[in-house]
Amino acid sequence: MLLTVKDLRTYLRTGQRLVKAVDGISFKLDRGKTFCLVGESGSGKSITALSIIDLLPSSISEHPSGEIVLQSTQGGLQNLMALDEAAMEDIRGARISMIFQEPMTSLNPVFTIGEQILESLHLHYPDLSDEEAWQRALQVLRDVQLSDPETRIHAYPHQLSGGQRQRVMIAMAMACEPDLLIADEPTTALDVTVQKEILRLMKDLQERTGMGILFITHDFGVVSQIADQVGVMKQGRLVEVGDVQQIIRRPEHPYTQSLIAALPENLSKPSVVSYQEHSATVANDNEPLIRLEQLQIHFPIRKGLLRRQVDSVRAVDGIDLEIPQGQILAVVGESGSGKTTLGRGILRLVEPTGGRVLFNETDITGLSPSKLRHYRRNMQVIFQDPLSSLNPRMSIESIMTEPMKVHGIGNSREERIERASDLLRQVQLAEDSLWRYPHEFSGGQRQRICIARALCLEPSFIVCDEITSALDVSVQAEILQMLLELRDQRNLTLLFITHNIGVVEYISDETAVMYQGRIIEHGRTSQIINEPNSPYTQELISAVPRIPRLD
Amino acid sequence: MTEAVSRNRQSYWRRILGDTLVRWGARLGLVWVALLALVAVFAPFLASSIPLLVSQQGEISSPVLNYLTPLDVVLLCLFFTLLILWFLPMGLGKKLLILLGIGLLCGLAAMKWIEPPRLIIYEQYRVAESAGAYDWVLKAPIPWSPTDYLRDFGDTGLERPLDDEQRAHWFGTEQNGADVLSRMIHASRIALGIGFVATGIAMLLGVIIGGLMGYFSGVVDMIGMRLVEIFEAVPTLFLLLTFVAFFGRSLYIMMVIIGITSWPGYARYVRAEFLRLRKQDFVQAAVASGLPLGSILFRHMLPNGMGPVLVAASFGVASAILAEATLSFLGLGLVGDPSWGEMLNQAVQSSSFNWWMAAFPGGAIFMTVFAYNLIGEALRDAIDPYLGRAS
Repeated sequence: MLLTVKDLRTYLRTGQRLVKAVDGISFKLDRGKTFCLVGESGSGKSITALSIIDLLPSSISEHPSGEIVLQSTQGGLQNLMALDEAAMEDIRGARISMIFQEPMTSLNPVFTIGEQILESLHLHYPDLSDEEAWQRALQVLRDVQLSDPETRIHAYPHQLSGGQRQRVMIAMAMACEPDLLIADEPTTALDVTVQKEILRLMKDLQERTGMGILFITHDFGVVSQIADQVGVMKQGRLVEVGDVQQIIRRPEHPYTQSLIAALPENLSKPSVVSYQEHSATVANDNEPLIRLEQLQIHFPIRKGLLRRQVDSVRAVDGIDLEIPQGQILAVVGESGSGKTTLGRGILRLVEPTGGRVLFNETDITGLSPSKLRHYRRNMQVIFQDPLSSLNPRMSIESIMTEPMKVHGIGNSREERIERASDLLRQVQLAEDSLWRYPHEFSGGQRQRICIARALCLEPSFIVCDEITSALDVSVQAEILQMLLELRDQRNLTLLFITHNIGVVEYISDETAVMYQGRIIEHGRTSQIINEPNSPYTQELISAVPRIPRLD
Repeated sequence: MTEAVSRNRQSYWRRILGDTLVRWGARLGLVWVALLALVAVFAPFLASSIPLLVSQQGEISSPVLNYLTPLDVVLLCLFFTLLILWFLPMGLGKKLLILLGIGLLCGLAAMKWIEPPRLIIYEQYRVAESAGAYDWVLKAPIPWSPTDYLRDFGDTGLERPLDDEQRAHWFGTEQNGADVLSRMIHASRIALGIGFVATGIAMLLGVIIGGLMGYFSGVVDMIGMRLVEIFEAVPTLFLLLTFVAFFGRSLYIMMVIIGITSWPGYARYVRAEFLRLRKQDFVQAAVASGLPLGSILFRHMLPNGMGPVLVAASFGVASAILAEATLSFLGLGLVGDPSWGEMLNQAVQSSSFNWWMAAFPGGAIFMTVFAYNLIGEALRDAIDPYLGRAS
């Protein structure tokens, strides 16, 4: 047994309060195996990892009980909880390594990657000569399949892409050949195709070195790909531990069942009948609500003293698209493909540099700001980050009623407040939420408020920009179901921007795949998912980690 | 995460205020500034040779009221309005508006109707009192006016604190025989006034220019930044000296000049904040809702970008006070009205070193600047999200 965690408790102090972040968890991890900790945000997954490697400041944390026994290749059995700081330093980085979610912030931007790898090598192997250390650093970079390691070893972190950075992070973690690798959501910030490569790389390295991996994630798709054993965490406790196949196919604990049922691929559409009726009306309706003609959004790159334009970033590069009334069009693509810019360009939050956007056959690209204001109420937007999309200094009431007042909806303040509380009821929030401030709500509740705000102008078209990516799966499921209901009630047209194929499959009627500012494939969602035509789409779809359907 | 959700249901500014006041430095600073403000408002009742109340043949009158200047009246009006508004439940913006309106009204009324006698003979009440003309007299706690040179006593001049048992001068007198404490009390008005007005002007200019620069960026930003650089290159003190030389000594000119030379700092802060905020989703959402520009700039963006400006302002008040003191110390301050800097100047100019003339006004300048710096420091810590609410 490589790692045995017994009755680990970690309490965090915040001010006067004591939070039981980890509340008595026990699990075992074998050499060469992967143990996945799954759970929603705030369930204590990361705190467990940080407790094992002892990275929590003792000023805010305490361990009332627990035993963490590591069977390392050097030093035999050790209870990590009993070690002092000096002994722990020998273990950290050498016997246990950790990689983090955000590869950009976990690498020091002022050192080359070579220097950063060498530093940990020199620390743990003081008798290694410079030349040997250098060769070893090159070797680990080769091991993580970084292309052209001889040149890349001199590169600074900002010169690498996100996937390459995560490879470097893994190389740093692997440099001292650890017995245990702790990976805290290592692929969450990456695109699916890169995620697939990183997961495969971790498997390869594990087979070669026989290390154990403690893998933390919230994504059951990833779990099904990499895990041998799975532990489901909820509020600091492990509610279910078991074999990966058993957990995913036959979860026993109700919480695990609810988590798996909330995955978009397992969600049932509100009612199939209305969905088909809907498609029928869509087919009859020839007039598209939104039509894009050769839409271009280029950002100039300026250089030199006179700020001459030397080149441009073609974020959106000539897109033709039609969205019929009442339809949900999903735009999928990897990061940097221009999908967010497309959404903002349609709303003229970013000025298009060429082409036309037609709303109900009116060209809105040429409208003056005052004329555009009239169209604004028909086109709304919901953003990804529920934290930053509500003004922290305004109560929900003023956030919602101000746009109504500007557009002359409702005759008096009382009437507008009445409408706002109606909308809050529709998005399943209590009416007294009106008088609260955004910081009093959780992420999911805030996203509901954002939806209510978008609806308060009675728009016919809403751009949803990754609106569920920052949310836990169970909350995501509720929001998606609510959106579908609202679409049916109000005959809304949605442009749904996302990178999550499961969500696309669940919510959208049609799908457009974007790559480098262009749409490379557009068609009915079922057709795109099941029989994609273009090679890029095929690669994208196949990279999505999926779990077998529940029966 | 959950504690952030359930955290007390207060508005942002109330929370900031609470976090600021937790710190001892800020409390001390605020207490000192509040004390100074009280002293400044009630100066004519605190230090005056004119009795507050006299009873003459059974008739009670208050001579001090006859000598109130329009400025005294406006300050008193504002103070009491503020006191009443403090306890009234209404929005901050509304309160400010009412305060401003009442201040303006009082100012106009006072200018029109209040005319204190030009010639003030401080001795007359003392003479009348010693002649036994009054049944009883209620004097101010410090019964000396700042420009009362005690001509009726004849033997006046420099005097140590509490040297003379008949005439108690707590902080001594200056070479003309005027009471130092009384002069300091009246000078606190200038110190506070110049700090607030100059900083107010600078903030107003800075917020408007910086806000436009940050929101529109591009060409507007470039022109604005050049303007900022030009104004940053102007040396305030020398400009002040030049203006004093050309246009004579005036408190208002001083306030305006300090104000219009120190706005670039605020403009930089606001610009940086607005550049950041412009990209925030809630501002984008406001644009997408078709809200008018004024509302986006001032309702949605400004309150979120004011934090650093307020911190800078509290340091700015301190530096404006110092600038005035410097100018007065150089002998270019106001004529007639005492100010702390001018009192320091007097201390140096007299032939022998008289510690009380330097220590008390110097201490007052030090304390006031220190108080504002303490407040600024605490405000900065309270606004900084990284210093954390955990502690």
